[in-house]
Amino acid sequence: MKLTESLSFRNVTGHGARSLILVILTALMAASVVCGTLVVSSLRTGLEALEARLGADIMVVPASAVSKHNFENIVLQGSKGYFYMDRSYYDKVAAREGIEKISPQLFLASASSGCCSVPLQIIGYDPETDFTVSPWIKKSAGGELKDLDVVVGNDLSVFVGNTITFYGVTCNVAAKLDKTGTDLDTAVYTNMNTIRELIRSSVELGMNEFGKIDPDNSVSCILIKVADGYSVDEVLNDLNLHVRRTKSFKTKDMISGVSDSLIGVSDLIGVLIAAVWVLGLVILFLAFYMSVNGRKKEFAVLRTAGASRKKLSGIVMTEALMITLTGAVSGIMIGLLIILPFNGLIEESLGLPFLLPSLPTAFICAAFALAVSVGAGMISAAFSAYRISRIDTGLILRGDN
Amino acid sequence: MKKIRERIGGIVLTILSLALTVGVKTVFSACGPKDDGSWMNCHWAEQAVFGIGIALTVISVLVLIFGKSRTGAGASLAAVPAAAIAAFTPAGLINLCMMTNMHCHSVTRPAVIVLSVLIAVTAAVNAAVIFRKTGRGQDK
Repeated sequence: MKLTESLSFRNVTGHGARSLILVILTALMAASVVCGTLVVSSLRTGLEALEARLGADIMVVPASAVSKHNFENIVLQGSKGYFYMDRSYYDKVAAREGIEKISPQLFLASASSGCCSVPLQIIGYDPETDFTVSPWIKKSAGGELKDLDVVVGNDLSVFVGNTITFYGVTCNVAAKLDKTGTDLDTAVYTNMNTIRELIRSSVELGMNEFGKIDPDNSVSCILIKVADGYSVDEVLNDLNLHVRRTKSFKTKDMISGVSDSLIGVSDLIGVLIAAVWVLGLVILFLAFYMSVNGRKKEFAVLRTAGASRKKLSGIVMTEALMITLTGAVSGIMIGLLIILPFNGLIEESLGLPFLLPSLPTAFICAAFALAVSVGAGMISAAFSAYRISRIDTGLILRGDN
Repeated sequence: MKKIRERIGGIVLTILSLALTVGVKTVFSACGPKDDGSWMNCHWAEQAVFGIGIALTVISVLVLIFGKSRTGAGASLAAVPAAAIAAFTPAGLINLCMMTNMHCHSVTRPAVIVLSVLIAVTAAVNAAVIFRKTGRGQDK
C-alpha cells in the first residue's frame, strides 16, 4: 500500500490545520537545537583558534593603552586602533631574565577614504624575531617578506600576487593567513620598514597626527615567549615591577574575558533551547492526547472492524512520525539556512571569536537535532498510543467514555 | 479558498520577489558610501540585484494572474534563471567589498542568495505542478 493511501497519511492531511501547527512546533524545536549547537560549537572553535593563534605567553603594552575602551580587542583580536611607546622599552624588556623569544609589533589603522583600499588594522612585525604571525601563513609567494610586501588575513578578498593600497602606498600581497574567526582575519601584516613608510605617508596626507611620536623609534606591543625553567607569572611580575610605564599581561588571562563571555552566551542559548523544548514537549503531548481523545469513537469502530490493538497504536505512532519527521527536517533546513549563510552577521553581533565547525561536525549537529526532535515527538505520542490500544470498545460506542 | 490554493505559487513568488526587491534597498542593502562620497563595489551589486528583483516581481505577478494555466507555468519557469542570476550577482558576478566581515558580505550576500534560491525552487516546483496538472499538449 502506498504511503499516501494509508490511514495515518489521510488522518494527517485531513486535519490540515492541526498537523500544520504540530509541524511548525516540531520545526521550531529542531531549529532551536541545530542553531544552538552550531552557534555554541562555532564559538568554541573560534576560541580554540584564537588561543592557538596568539602564541605569546605575555604581552607588554604602554601603560596608557590600557585605558583605551577596546584595548583588549586591539591586541587580542586585531580590532582597529593604535598606541605607541618608545623602542627603548623593547630593549629594557629584552634585557630581563626568563625570555626565550621576544618580538615587537607596531599598529596603524587604515582610513575609509580614497587613499586606502579598505579600512583595517595594519600590524607591523619583525619577520626575523616573529613567532606569532609566520606559523599561520597558509599561502605564500615564497621567499622573505620584502619592503612593501604584506601578509593579509583570511577574510580579505585579495590573493597572493594582488596589490593593495594604504595611504597612497601600493603594497604587494605576499602571503595569506589561516582563518581565526576574529578581526585578525581582516588585519594586514607587514615588516617594520613598510609600516613606518605607511605611517609617514598617512602623516604627509594629513590623515593622522602623531605629535611627538617618532615611528622609527616606536613600538605598540611586545610579544614574549617565556623560557623553559621560568614560570609565566614569575616573568610577568618581574616585568611589571622593573619596566615602568608599561603594563604586562598574561595572554591566557586576557582570553579568559572572551572565554567568560562565551560561557555566558552558551548558558543563554541553553536556557532558550530548554524553554522552547519544555513548551514544545507540553504542547506536543497535549496535542496528541487531545487529538486521540477526540477520535476515540473512530478508533473503536476500527477495533470492531477487526483492527488489532497493535494496529491502533501503530496508526497513532505513524501519524506522530510523519508530523515530527516533516517538522524536524524543515526546522533543520531553516536552522542551517540561518546559521551557515549568516555566520558573518552572527560573529559581528556577538563580538566573539566565531568559526563555523567543519562540515562533518555540522552534519552531526543536524543528525542530533533530527534524532532528538523525532524522538521527543514519538515519546509525546507514545502515551496516547498506549491509551488508545487499551480502549473499551463497547463502552465508547455506547457513548459512556 | 480554492482560488487561493490555485494561486499559492504565484502568491509566494510575488512575496519573495518583493522581499528581494525592497529588502536589497532597505533591510539587507549593501555598504554605504566611503568618507569621500565614492561608492564601493558592493553598491553596484545592490543596484543589479534591485533591477533583477523588479523583473522577478513582474514575472511573479504574471504567474499570479495566469494561475494554473500553461502561460503561468511558462512565466514561472522564466523566474528560475532570473533568480539564479540574482543569486550569482553578489556571489561572483560582481565583486563585493574587500573585507568579508563587512555588511555586504555578512548580510546582503547571504540574504540575496537565500531569497533567490527560495524563488528559484518555488518557481520550478510551481511550474512542475502546473505542467503535471494540465498534462502534455493541452492548455487549460
